[in-house]
Amino acid sequence: MADTLTIRTAGIVTVQDLGRVGRSRYGLPANGAADQHSARVANVLCGNDDRAPLLEITALDFACVPSADTLVAVTGAPADVTVGGVARPQWEPVSVRAGETIRVTGIRRGLRVYLAVLGSFEADHLQGSCAPDTVLGFGPALRDGDELALRTSCPPIDHPFSRIPLFRLRAPVPTFPTTWTIDVTDGPDRAEFGDTGRRLYDAPFSVSPQSNHIGLRLRGAVPRRVTRGEILSRGVPIGAVEVPAGDELLVLHRGRGVTAGYPVLAVVTATGLSALGQVRPGQAVRFRHRTLDQAVTAHRTQRHAVDALRTRVRTAFDALRIRAPLGS
Amino acid sequence: MNGHVTITDCGDSALVAKAVGLDAEDAWRLVHALADALDAVRLTGVHDVVPTYDALLVEFDSTATDHDTVRRVLAREAARLGPDPAPTTPPRRFVVPVVYGGEHGPDLPEVAAQLGLTESEVIALHTGSDLTVRCLGAPAGAPMTDGPPFPRPVPRLASPRTRVDPGSVAVAGRQAVICPMPSPGGWPLLGRTPVRVLDLHSDPITAYRPGDTFRFRPIAPRQWDEYADLPLAACHG
Repeated sequence: MADTLTIRTAGIVTVQDLGRVGRSRYGLPANGAADQHSARVANVLCGNDDRAPLLEITALDFACVPSADTLVAVTGAPADVTVGGVARPQWEPVSVRAGETIRVTGIRRGLRVYLAVLGSFEADHLQGSCAPDTVLGFGPALRDGDELALRTSCPPIDHPFSRIPLFRLRAPVPTFPTTWTIDVTDGPDRAEFGDTGRRLYDAPFSVSPQSNHIGLRLRGAVPRRVTRGEILSRGVPIGAVEVPAGDELLVLHRGRGVTAGYPVLAVVTATGLSALGQVRPGQAVRFRHRTLDQAVTAHRTQRHAVDALRTRVRTAFDALRIRAPLGS
Repeated sequence: MNGHVTITDCGDSALVAKAVGLDAEDAWRLVHALADALDAVRLTGVHDVVPTYDALLVEFDSTATDHDTVRRVLAREAARLGPDPAPTTPPRRFVVPVVYGGEHGPDLPEVAAQLGLTESEVIALHTGSDLTVRCLGAPAGAPMTDGPPFPRPVPRLASPRTRVDPGSVAVAGRQAVICPMPSPGGWPLLGRTPVRVLDLHSDPITAYRPGDTFRFRPIAPRQWDEYADLPLAACHG
């Protein structure tokens, strides 16, 4: 019998990865972790492949128990993380003994927490990814008592009594503000909104409860299309900011239908999309205009920071003789 | 750029190539040929291409490539293809058995009334010609085809259904579609096919691709079981 990670308190938790790539042409959206940066860092902190399955914990309290000694990393929104009742840090690898309960409670300021396990666990895949697709009904939410088969284990590596954090890996931790600033670049149909397009930057928008991984609805002073005419359905990027009708903006996220027929006013940047994956209903969002160069530079800076972290993790794991589980 | 393609930034991780100055048929053929060409090049960092009617969305990882590189390759491939590219693969033909009306096509009477036709005339038009698959849409691989030669466009439902059964055959505007998965939908339903339209566990998930044609064929409700769950497959001749 393989070792397992047993879900004790599920809350809202799914098995995720970075999403389904290369299938847009067949009408399959990318999906995957809403906050790609936090998910990526969680796996990197465990020495895993960036695309390894991990848990996405949304809003509610969560608990699980491994049947073997292992190492986990918890990233994403600020929360109280305990292992065997002892407070442990986020954004660092944490040693867990067999049978100890890992608890994530009081998720705040953001919406989603990521929990990666050294070596990851077995997960069903569809079209190259374990990411849930709610439209297809693939990847149901986990329930209390569900067991995930761990792929490897790791002997205890910190002091059994003092529990002084062993790692100081300085992972790139994003900010979790009360009013979010979300970076966007001009969309391909910016001109269709004339002067009203500026409204996007004038005042904050409020995130509607009707928001999810498919798209976020935002209320506020919305720009208006000043042109008329049908737009043929065409591929729209993740992050597209659309004004379908009424007084709401629609910002498409990773579960978005691949094609749509609304003009695209702006496009949320790659780093902005990770931040947007953390925004809670009711929070305020202020959009910030970026040039393409600024957006790409920010994305590369963030990715370089993760690459540098990966190097530090390898060095630390080598020193501690922790076997990095998956190639990469 | 080229006379027939414009390339526009679409955020920090995508470009859009749009066919311009071509009629609808040529524009559609060009963006699909351009998508195939870009797929064949396997450019580092480019992970998805979405060709539709007159536009091609190209998605990439801007930490692995950059807009200029992708734009240059798109422009080069567009120039190589010219405004009138030959199809990459020869089109195939799929015959789709459909039970019309009744519980399987609840909107058939309404559509007939809107078009000023009898139900039989609507079925005759829907089954009377080969309809070209233009692109694959939501949810998951839905074949978006040209509509049958109805006298005028078909309006969408005033209030969309929360659930449409898989295999449902629908029309709207001047388009037609088969819904491959249970999903919400606002298109009037004419009938339903018992065959399995696609397989989420094969790669690619659909046997058909844009450019192939569908021919709908009416079957009686009692024939449903003969076809139930057979995979939709191209026919020969």
